Amino acid sequence: MRATFTSLKRLLLASIAFLLGAAGLTYVIDPLQLFRPSRSAFYSDDTRVQNAGLIRSQSFDTAFMGTSLAIHFRQSDIDRALGVRSLKLAMTGSNSRQQAFVLEQAIARGARRVIWEMDDFIFVDAADIEADPYLSVDLYRRTPKGIASYLFSAAMAKESLFALLRSVPPLQVPLTRAAPYLPVKFALADVDDIYALPRDVDVAREYNASKTLASFAYITAPSRSRFLGEGYGYQAMVRNFEQDAVSLIARYPDVTFDIYFPPYSILQFVAMRDASPGTLKIVSDLTAVIAERLTQRPNVRLHDFRAIKVVTQDLNNYGDVIHHSPVVDGMVLKWLASGEYRVDPKAPLTSLDELKAQVEVYRVPGLP
Amino acid sequence: MLFNSYPFILLFLPLVLAGYFWLGRRSNLAPVIWLALASIAFYAIGSWQFVALLLLSIAFNYGIGHLLIVAKLGPSPRKAALALGVAGDLLVLGIFKYAGFATENVNALLGTHFALHILLPVGISFYTFTQIAFLVDAYRGQVAAYALPHYALFVTYFPHLIAGPILHHKDMIPQFEREETKRPDGHLILCGVIIFAIGLFKKTCLADGIQPLVALAFDARSPSFDQAWCGALAYAFQLYFDFSGYSDMAIGISLMFGIFLPVNFNSPYKATSIVEFWRRWHMTLSQFLRDYLYIPLGGNRHGRVLRYVNLLITMLLGGLWHGAAWTFVVWGALHGAYLCVNHAFNALVPTIPSALARPARIGGTVLTFLAVVVAWVFFRAASVEWALRVLQAMADPSHIVFGREEIAALVMIAVYAALVWLAPNTQTLLGYDHANRRVGENLRAGRMRPLFLYGASLVLAFGILGIQSHSEFIYFRF
Repeated sequence: MRATFTSLKRLLLASIAFLLGAAGLTYVIDPLQLFRPSRSAFYSDDTRVQNAGLIRSQSFDTAFMGTSLAIHFRQSDIDRALGVRSLKLAMTGSNSRQQAFVLEQAIARGARRVIWEMDDFIFVDAADIEADPYLSVDLYRRTPKGIASYLFSAAMAKESLFALLRSVPPLQVPLTRAAPYLPVKFALADVDDIYALPRDVDVAREYNASKTLASFAYITAPSRSRFLGEGYGYQAMVRNFEQDAVSLIARYPDVTFDIYFPPYSILQFVAMRDASPGTLKIVSDLTAVIAERLTQRPNVRLHDFRAIKVVTQDLNNYGDVIHHSPVVDGMVLKWLASGEYRVDPKAPLTSLDELKAQVEVYRVPGLP
Repeated sequence: MLFNSYPFILLFLPLVLAGYFWLGRRSNLAPVIWLALASIAFYAIGSWQFVALLLLSIAFNYGIGHLLIVAKLGPSPRKAALALGVAGDLLVLGIFKYAGFATENVNALLGTHFALHILLPVGISFYTFTQIAFLVDAYRGQVAAYALPHYALFVTYFPHLIAGPILHHKDMIPQFEREETKRPDGHLILCGVIIFAIGLFKKTCLADGIQPLVALAFDARSPSFDQAWCGALAYAFQLYFDFSGYSDMAIGISLMFGIFLPVNFNSPYKATSIVEFWRRWHMTLSQFLRDYLYIPLGGNRHGRVLRYVNLLITMLLGGLWHGAAWTFVVWGALHGAYLCVNHAFNALVPTIPSALARPARIGGTVLTFLAVVVAWVFFRAASVEWALRVLQAMADPSHIVFGREEIAALVMIAVYAALVWLAPNTQTLLGYDHANRRVGENLRAGRMRPLFLYGASLVLAFGILGIQSHSEFIYFRF
């Protein structure tokens, strides 16, 4: 009997030793670069976690924020086009509360300019940031709880172990090459590659009119059209906009905010027009409020790319009704640099009215 | 409260264990009451609003059980008492679990707009079925009179309360009554910790680890062929390790108290037929459905056709037991159909020659697994329509992405497949013998130490490191 209790004690003590060992390994390797920048670091596409480390380890003067519509930009392209030192923090499917929180952390670490791709749907719903299960505020704030959850984590211990193996000279090259195809998160050797499309991506295959039209047909099918306006509520969205965007901008008057409405394909609005007119009205009314409120802020430059017919009505630019190709990414940077489509504070609704007119008369190719 | 949480592992479990054994030195009844109270506290921490319902259910069934066991009623009143008990249980289950579903369907059929929002009490399916079995056995004269604390503990016993296994009074209550279980047994505690560690590792590292891949099929609007397969397989493995992990943890925790729980999970993906699959997956539910539904319906006693009808009814209700939605109905119907085909095949096809036995077994395993994966698509999807979309993508190899993410997903799935088909299961590893109340004989004899012990401590450490703040068990929803 005594022997089994001794075994039990040994098992529990060994477990504690392993726990501490794993935490020590993660601290030394620091895959997230939360404690110290590293020249030999690797990066992850898991942006909600990765951003916490990027904000700590990178030097930057400009933060780039957005949803999946902004996720494929490369920092080097942003820097070249705008003459800045940027940090891309875009997160797919993120809401305004998450975006505002992450931006605030970046501003606190030195961002003097923010480029913000703003979708209407980010204002739909947002959990309280302190209790958001998809974004750990403690990790960003480096509270004891956040640090403990980072160090005492099997996922991070696995990444650290992989990083350790990758640092062994004979394994360095093969493991680095294989990493993107293995189930490890920190697999990207260049910060520029976070969520960026491969440089040799076949643009015509991924982005073309037939895919865009198929997506349009899919979302407007009677059985699915109710999803178009799922969660949309005008009052709540305006409230979220005020709470997340306006208050952040007001808190940092010395930071310049370049906010842009991305160039969705016109089919995004036509889908609403045909299948969910109530949603289209909410979107129009909301973006009118956004345009009117933001153009009044001295530290905001608002850009509206939604009515640029040559892009938004060329369906070959899209992979579905909203996501544009990397070619359009380049155009967005060019427009931001030139200020060509900046919304005039004296006539903030001009581009919205133009868009409305376009949506009203547009006929989908192949449909009567 | 979750087994895979720091408060449970570091506070609740040690405290309850200490109290149980401390009281065990003084009395045989006090530890039972303590454990029942701890179980109610365990339930209340996560679902305080349903504690009253749980207690009422216990009181109601204990009362009906008393009428059936102790009161000397005639045949008709006994039948009436049983009918009252079972109807009462099913009524409560029906209201909480199926009223919303029924309303939705009425609305869809009649174009009405009734709204019904009823929260599902956690574990209601498990504690209701447990007690229905008790009442039926009491009616059949197969139950001795039990003291209320033992009965209450049998229903609420926290290792099984939320997600099974479905317990049988004949198996459990005698164990609660034994004095030996109230004295700490170092060997059982050690084996319990190891089994718990394996279960925790399965849940936090394996099930939660593969969970993100499920989105490839089920969160995408139009998944490609490879994405749909990766997502569906990822879900098959997530559910496997989630449920297997929970079952191991339940057995491990219970073993620390000296109580043997029934095995609920026996490497089901190794099954060579769907009949065998159901003997290995959620074994206590299968036994319940067989003993209290399939056999009372007539089983295979009234000819082949009625046997298939009974199988279909049993599996349809088994599907509905898992959830009030058409996806679960389809899932149950599919498994019912699979079982019918399997039985028909066994009846029609002659015995396979021994030379072909091995390839036939491999073929049977592959076919069974594929059939199960197809059914899981309905089990997981938000709607039948969504499930069909995923299945369509799985059947359309013309649209393949096979990018970085998909390759990484395939590598991960291959690792999981190797674990499922090549690794021994927990009961084999530890020699867990529920019927003979034996476990870890090799460990006791010193044939497995010390490497096994350090391996187990590594597994426990990784299981603890894998704990995430938001990770419920899939079976909590049922």
